[in-house]
Amino acid sequence: MIRMLVSVALVAMIAFDARADVLTDPNEIVARANLAAYYAGADGSAEVRMLISDVQDRRQRRQFTVLRRDIADGGDQQFLVVFSQPSDVRGTVFLVDKHIDRDDDRWLYLPGLDLVKRISAGDKRTSFVGAHYFYEDVSGRRPTEDTHELIETTDTAYVLRHVPIDVGSVEFGSYVTWIDRETFLPMKIEYTNPAGRLYRRVEVLEVATFDGHPTVTVSRVSDLSSGGRTDMQFRYIQYDIGLPADVFAERSLRNPPREWLQRPTD
Amino acid sequence: MQRVLIRFATERPGAVFAVVLLLVCVLGALILRIQIDTDPENMLPNDQADRVFHDAVEARFTLHDAIVVGIVNDTDPDGIFNPRSLAALHHLSKSILELDGVVVPDLMSLAESDNISQAGPGTIRFEWMMKEAPVTVQQARDIRDKVDRLPLLRDTLVSGDGRAAAIYVPIASKDLSYPLSLQIRALTQQLDTTDAYHITGLPVAEDTFGHDMFVQMGISAPLAGLMIFLLMWYFFRSAGLVIAPMLVAMATVIISMGLLIGLGFTVHIMSSMIPIFLMPIAVVDSVHIMSEFADTWRPGQDTKTVIGDVVGHLFTPMLFTSLTSAVGFLSLLLTPIPPVQIFGVFVAFGILLAFLLTVILVPAYVVSMKPATLARLAAGRSTPHTETLLARSLRRGGRFAVNNGKSITAVAVVLVAVSIAGITRIQINDNPVRWFKANHPIRVADEVLNRHFAGTYDAFIVLTHHDDEALPRFRAAAETLLTGVDPSLAAPIREQLSTEPGAGGDYYGALIVMLDDALFDAREPATVEALTQLMTLSEETQSTARFFQRPDILRRIASLQVALGDSADVGKTNALPDIVKLVNRELRGGQARNYRIPDTSAAVAQTLLQYQSSHRPQDLWHMVTPDFSSTAIWVQLRSGDNQDMTRVVRALDAYLADEPMPANVQVRWAGKTFINVAWQDAMVRGMLNSLLGAFVAVFLMMTMLFRSWRLGLLAMVPLSITILGVYGIIGWIGKDYDMPIAVLSSLALGLSVDFAIHFIQRTRSLLDENGSFEIVAGILFEKPARAIARNAIVIAIGFTPLFFAPLVPYITVGAFMAAIMAVSALATLILLPALMAWAGPWLFPQLRVSAATGHGGESSQEEVAP
Repeated sequence: MIRMLVSVALVAMIAFDARADVLTDPNEIVARANLAAYYAGADGSAEVRMLISDVQDRRQRRQFTVLRRDIADGGDQQFLVVFSQPSDVRGTVFLVDKHIDRDDDRWLYLPGLDLVKRISAGDKRTSFVGAHYFYEDVSGRRPTEDTHELIETTDTAYVLRHVPIDVGSVEFGSYVTWIDRETFLPMKIEYTNPAGRLYRRVEVLEVATFDGHPTVTVSRVSDLSSGGRTDMQFRYIQYDIGLPADVFAERSLRNPPREWLQRPTD
Repeated sequence: MQRVLIRFATERPGAVFAVVLLLVCVLGALILRIQIDTDPENMLPNDQADRVFHDAVEARFTLHDAIVVGIVNDTDPDGIFNPRSLAALHHLSKSILELDGVVVPDLMSLAESDNISQAGPGTIRFEWMMKEAPVTVQQARDIRDKVDRLPLLRDTLVSGDGRAAAIYVPIASKDLSYPLSLQIRALTQQLDTTDAYHITGLPVAEDTFGHDMFVQMGISAPLAGLMIFLLMWYFFRSAGLVIAPMLVAMATVIISMGLLIGLGFTVHIMSSMIPIFLMPIAVVDSVHIMSEFADTWRPGQDTKTVIGDVVGHLFTPMLFTSLTSAVGFLSLLLTPIPPVQIFGVFVAFGILLAFLLTVILVPAYVVSMKPATLARLAAGRSTPHTETLLARSLRRGGRFAVNNGKSITAVAVVLVAVSIAGITRIQINDNPVRWFKANHPIRVADEVLNRHFAGTYDAFIVLTHHDDEALPRFRAAAETLLTGVDPSLAAPIREQLSTEPGAGGDYYGALIVMLDDALFDAREPATVEALTQLMTLSEETQSTARFFQRPDILRRIASLQVALGDSADVGKTNALPDIVKLVNRELRGGQARNYRIPDTSAAVAQTLLQYQSSHRPQDLWHMVTPDFSSTAIWVQLRSGDNQDMTRVVRALDAYLADEPMPANVQVRWAGKTFINVAWQDAMVRGMLNSLLGAFVAVFLMMTMLFRSWRLGLLAMVPLSITILGVYGIIGWIGKDYDMPIAVLSSLALGLSVDFAIHFIQRTRSLLDENGSFEIVAGILFEKPARAIARNAIVIAIGFTPLFFAPLVPYITVGAFMAAIMAVSALATLILLPALMAWAGPWLFPQLRVSAATGHGGESSQEEVAP
């Protein structure tokens, strides 16, 4: 009986496997992962909470709402990030015009200093407001910046190794991603420094589907050399809400578009 | 008791040898488990308040001990800012990151630093200072210009003159600093550079010291043994006679050290000196037994009877001198410094053990000697040492002392006065780096780096805000607001309210998240209103609790920094206001006038949010806790001398007296350089206690021994003169009073009283036989004086191998040991007879009755003085 069940299960798995498209082109996998992770819907909004913990488990919290609008799938995008917590940084706003063919345009508004600043692109691998996430983790790294190699295809994931083309622009030597074969969401990313030491891990802890888009709702980044980590939780996720272009204008820095920042009431 | 011991030793020599050999083997084997401890923090008990606080501060601000690598270029016109130097620095910095034991995120170097700068009008730029090594001369100069705008780096990572750069290598454990410093040294040797590389830092100094300590113990202790052997051979001209004392000394040292290590004590700088202290002390008793035996025994006599008589006769004086020396060292227990206490206890143990071994091992050795050897030994003693230079000088000196009693006493009084004047000039000071000789690479590095930078010595002023009423006040207000709230929503909030705010500092943050969620679910207007108010209250309370985010407080800290910076001892201070001012300046366009603290707490918070948007957000937590309730001002000092640190502490006290911090702010020092001051203070006070305690104990013992308080007082004279004299010399020559100097007092006390005991004891028993002091003095300055002089010489010279030690404290001890022996022997042999010459009747009852007649002549017994 048990043996029969096992056989059935095996057959079922093989059958499932046969049905799924098994991709072999790493560039195609990366392109689809990029779309799944950063371009779901034509636009979207979410409220994000970050819990930043150091090795002694001392915590800081950040809460912000992020609005996103795609100019083109896999292409340029716009982001507006508005902070609500802690109260002394409330009203701090980031505006980002993400470009595929050139450096992003980034603006910052600090209400306490009543100051709008343009941020020079410089380096995208700096901490995002003190979290263990980098700016680039939030906005997405361009697939064209690395070479990709499919090193393994498991039952659930494509495992790829990525090597930066411009070695001098990043702190890692390479990274490996585990991309879910069904959703194409990168479920785990491990960064290795140029000397070959693993020092950083990003992992997805929970996924849920909204408007047909499988979406990361809880993720964690661990800084393996300091022992710190940041947990990021996404809530009130919405897609295709029809965000107008003027929401992403410089004017929104000082006057964030309240109507788009409110939580959906079911 | 004594007879039982001696009989056992003479009847069963085999058993004695077996037992001693067994002890030596078993305990000697334990020595292999040696654990070296060179951490100056361990000078304080681990529950000492300053140390507990220091450890807490290290954890609170994630501070690590650091190796400092200094790179100096004295030839290039651009100093260190040339492509080749920076490339080497960059390469080294990256290579160090790959070494095991390096705390990677906290390594500080130009290659790991962030830069914040203007990138055109209204545009700010965050980037690595030196992601890649510069290729052109201009690129290298650009880095200099960038560094010039970052006060936090200037004089810390790069010297003000641009000639030197530093890499701070934080290490996970102090034990790693020596191997790591060697690895770093090896890395520097592979660099393509002509720059000078220096490696220093307190942990390196400590660990290197531990290494050198092994060398010292491996070389100096055996050398001391050899030296004593040769010296005794010269004095007694018989190897057979000298072997027994050497056996006693070796057994004493091995058993004592084995026991110390076996009991789980670490070997600290103090305990590493135990062998070299015990060796000379251990030999003298047995030398005198052997020497008296050789004088007494004649072929045909029963060896057992003769040695039994000799040991029996010497038993009490040896016991007393051993006890007084032991008390001198045991008094170190009154000093609240664990390594000093352990040293005192084990030297005292060793002295008593040496006594025990002497009275059993030496007789056992003698009865086991072949008759032929014994005969040779006795024959070798036929030449009396009565006409040597030493003998003649002693005789002449004694006569002079007796004839000029009052003048010598007067001179002694003057010398005491001069010594006291010297003592008032004593500078209490220590600095572990100075434990190395001046030409040691660590000393050189220390000198070079502290000349170029703001200082490699760290101390931290830690400010902590406590408001014990804030939380109860908040909870009460919250409870009032919650009364009207829907119970299903209020229950989890109440639960969160009643949790204890932990070290995470997330009490209000967690509560706010909960309120935020509850607000979203709340429908009823009263509940929404109450929760909104509670939310506002929580946010305000959270903001208020972030005390060191307040602009007014940051400005006070900045003023404090300025005041401290004016002190010549402070190279530089680094603190939270420096970060806030810098980021504020760059956010506002980079002009110098914007290098200031913004006006609101929110503005400070937003400034710091930008600072954290860097490659090294965690750097902030070295200066302030994530809940902003405690902040640390890093004070860089160019000198690790306790005196300099103490002056800085006083400067802060003086400043705070005029400009106090708010009442609920605690200001307290931490950091290695400060910890050194803390234990130094404890030591100085403790040493005074030890000295007074030992003084009283020895006085009581003397009074008991002589059954006369007057003689007890007399016995205290040589040691008092010795202690005053030695410390007077230290004061006058300007040698700092440091740890090794401090323990010398007990040593002086324990050893110089021995001479006095023997001199007075001998005088008294001679007076019983001869009524006249003149006759007695004549006898005293033969064998008894020679015995004292010889012992002084044996001990003084026994310590001379310390002169060859690679580390300064050992040299100091060696030098002062010789001084102590010289002064105490002179005080005993000159001042005591001088005093006796004019105060005889007051001191000795025999002289009060001028009746007794006696016979002259030399005693047949050599006197003993360990």
